[in-house]
Amino acid sequence: MSELDLVVIGAGPAGAAAALEAHRRGLRCLLVDEAPAAGGQVWRAPPEGFVRRKADADAKAGDRLRAELGASSIATAFGHRVWLITESFRIEAVGSEGPVTWRAPAIIAATGVSERVIPFPGWTEPGVIGLAGATVLLKAQQVLPGERALVAGCGPLLPAVVASVLKAGGRVAAAVDLAERREWLSALPAMLTRPDLLARGLGWLIRLRRAGVPVYFRHAIRQVESAEEHLEVAIAPVDATGRFVTEVCERVFEVDWVAVGHGLVPGTEITRLLGAEHRYHAERGGWVAVLDETGRTSVPGLLVAGDGGGIRGAAAAVEQGRLAGLATALDQGRLDRDGFEREAKPIRRRLRRAERFGQASARLMAVRAGQVLSIPEETIVCRCEDVTRAEITAAIGAGAAEVNQLKGWTRCGMGPCQGRMCGEAAASLLAVASGSRDAAGIWTGRAPLRPVALDDLLGDYSYGDIPLPKAAPL
Amino acid sequence: MANASPTGHHVSGRRIEGALARPQLVEIVVDGTPIAACQGESLAAALLVAGRRALRASPRLGLPRGAFCMMGVCQECLVRVDGRLVPACQTAVRPGMRVETDGGRD
Amino acid sequence: MTDVPDARRVDAAVVGAGLMGTTVALFLARGGMRVALIDRDGICRSASGVNAGTLTLHMTRAALIPYAMRGFEMWTSAGAWLGHDLGVVSTEGLCLAFTEDEAALLEARTHARRAAGAPIDLVSPTRAREIEPGLGRDVRLAACCPVDGHASAYLTGLAYRRALAAAGVRLLEHHPVTAIEPEAGGFRVRGHDLDLRATRLILAGGVWLEPMLRWLGIALAIKVLVNQLAVTERLPPVMRTVVTIATGLLSLKQFANGTVLVGGGWQGKGDREHGTGTLIPENLLGNLRLAAFAIPALRAGRLVRAWLGLEAETADAMPAIGPMPGIPGAFVIGSVHSGYTSGPYMGRLLADQILGRPPEQPLFPIDRLLAPARQPATKVHAR
Repeated sequence: MSELDLVVIGAGPAGAAAALEAHRRGLRCLLVDEAPAAGGQVWRAPPEGFVRRKADADAKAGDRLRAELGASSIATAFGHRVWLITESFRIEAVGSEGPVTWRAPAIIAATGVSERVIPFPGWTEPGVIGLAGATVLLKAQQVLPGERALVAGCGPLLPAVVASVLKAGGRVAAAVDLAERREWLSALPAMLTRPDLLARGLGWLIRLRRAGVPVYFRHAIRQVESAEEHLEVAIAPVDATGRFVTEVCERVFEVDWVAVGHGLVPGTEITRLLGAEHRYHAERGGWVAVLDETGRTSVPGLLVAGDGGGIRGAAAAVEQGRLAGLATALDQGRLDRDGFEREAKPIRRRLRRAERFGQASARLMAVRAGQVLSIPEETIVCRCEDVTRAEITAAIGAGAAEVNQLKGWTRCGMGPCQGRMCGEAAASLLAVASGSRDAAGIWTGRAPLRPVALDDLLGDYSYGDIPLPKAAPL
Repeated sequence: MANASPTGHHVSGRRIEGALARPQLVEIVVDGTPIAACQGESLAAALLVAGRRALRASPRLGLPRGAFCMMGVCQECLVRVDGRLVPACQTAVRPGMRVETDGGRD
Repeated sequence: MTDVPDARRVDAAVVGAGLMGTTVALFLARGGMRVALIDRDGICRSASGVNAGTLTLHMTRAALIPYAMRGFEMWTSAGAWLGHDLGVVSTEGLCLAFTEDEAALLEARTHARRAAGAPIDLVSPTRAREIEPGLGRDVRLAACCPVDGHASAYLTGLAYRRALAAAGVRLLEHHPVTAIEPEAGGFRVRGHDLDLRATRLILAGGVWLEPMLRWLGIALAIKVLVNQLAVTERLPPVMRTVVTIATGLLSLKQFANGTVLVGGGWQGKGDREHGTGTLIPENLLGNLRLAAFAIPALRAGRLVRAWLGLEAETADAMPAIGPMPGIPGAFVIGSVHSGYTSGPYMGRLLADQILGRPPEQPLFPIDRLLAPARQPATKVHAR
């Protein structure tokens, strides 16, 4: 690969926009993503060989994005997994051809979010799927895991999934929302900044109403049990913090599958690995890198764009991507300060409008501190390692004061998901003991950024190829 | 370790018709049983349609696990494809694919 | 969780709560002393908590074999004297040679270790493969030690915690020390939120021993090694022994939970002032390639985590354990290099000496490492 000015990691709305903007300014740019095509989670391409007959707004946006990228001469590396970035911005990745190394003076991390699911008994049962996961399944794969669903959690993904299931001809036994109606209503003014998205949301509600889906506000799943050919889901009322108010179950539903999700968490693996400064912002989704207005982190040359810098939604992600690309161009002398301000002005305007909607969504998805208090002691918190709440409680009692210590003592976070599934719950449990999520600390960033197959990494070699350093003293 | 006949784990899903034109169904083999799937769809989706939800046993307690996040994050949908351990949700169906569940655990 | 220290006197202050410092503190307290154990972080969070946990005589210098063997006995009986077994597993240890040069090296090393009392035998490749069916081809020669093994190093701190409390050790975690002043009757140990008087002082600061000794006017060069380690996800059984290599550049083991830990002292970026930095990709790759050469089935697995740890080494690569010359009541322990195996024993030996019991084995006084003309100052403030 010839010399690069910028590597953008993540080809979702933010990353693609960043790459396009930087490329427009004359930067030699590489856009990298694990997926086979650009679009990220929200604007996913259909599977290879599948042809869209009908396209909704997201599908159209994704197609437009992919077309624009294709029409440009931006270098792309799809199907590549970045696993290590060194202090000097040497980037190691694996692709179908094996390991590959890139170097650039600037990196834009646009790796998006992961889903937060606070554990409850039975959350590990096959047939229980994340809300974001259900979205991928229903929209990108067009697969319904079963006829009768129960959809639970919080945030805009909840009604979206309900609507998708109904649209697919499935049934929704209940929509179970941690929020109360009032929280949605108070989000309305901000959501008016995006009438198109608001209209879509209203469309979901109409579909939901028409199908007669019972909606339980201020409720959560108490437990899921596997029964003969179905799942039994018990729900119960919660308070504003997400904690159950009684010992009783309000209702039990018989369904085929469950979709559940409790918000989105910004992905900070790259910024943590490179030692950028982070701060905890509950209303942005949790720990995020400290960013200036264009996405620059405390590490020179490292920028963040998109939801990975704080939940703001896809529209804001695009504008942030543009700003980050522009800032990189400025930093590398491709335009001057006046040029930058001129170009940034309309972007900032659009960003402010888009952000308001995204912020309202983020608020609906913010972590509710009381949820973890409801987790029974014997419930699995770390799925990879089967670590229960009881073991975490014991480690906290033995003196584990922050998340990395907790990890060492319980193995919570040591499995292949690298703490993505259990991290929020474990940190929240620590926060209860230590007083705040701040005090509970942030997970130390480590390589590999994602699990990487040794076979992909090692390639073919003979013994003589191994660069043996000087041996240890005898 | 894995539950031989787990309850509630054989619920079949279905492919949604209308929005996508799919390629022809091809045959893959899952734990020795031929199963129809669409070339290119995610293996996790294909397994859900076929009613194969329990893909593994959890490491310490041996409890049944299956696909959860659909995004390659949770590591719960690990299966062996042509001998190699991969996340089913990140693996595209190819004709003749040989899939083994209980991914490599004793 | 964090004790509020006062200026009360203790019989011994141990600065640095890694494996060695923690063990010294434990045995001093069990010997009847009032002990304070101080660390700027939590206990055993540095080298002691992040090393590969290999318990092997193959990687132990000949002169340290007797210490490593006693250390190994302590590890395998930790449940009894410590109250926590750290998941210690005892299994054969195989040291491999893939080339002629390595075979010659292996023969020499094995000979030296045997002479020092280690039960190590050279074995043929065929025999090696019987002991370790997971071995790849191209093994020219191997050496087998029937009593090697491994521990889960990240459990070290947890393992010691309850024993420390039961012995009455005052554990002062998250209390960085900024100055140590010798005074009449002992030492004053100071830091933020810390002002402690101790009759005796033990410095157990790992790679930070060099700046610590400067507080007392002693100039002892401690080299900092930045070791890389990596671990896989849980794999089906691929090996049953602890595998090392004649050059010392590989340590490989599979834990009961199926994860495989790869080490070998391949270097990464980092230093004493800033701690561990980033991995050096070629070195990680080299280490992993060596591992997969030894146990080919590893290739089917995925790497889940890689990290770095700082290890201390003196100029002659032998330990720094014993009294500080010219400063009565002050001691130092550390820089054993591959010191996890012998760590508990080294700690106990020094505790014995300090308690006035003649230690079973000679210690390693640092006089040999100091510049001859240098006189340690009697009252020095930290920078």
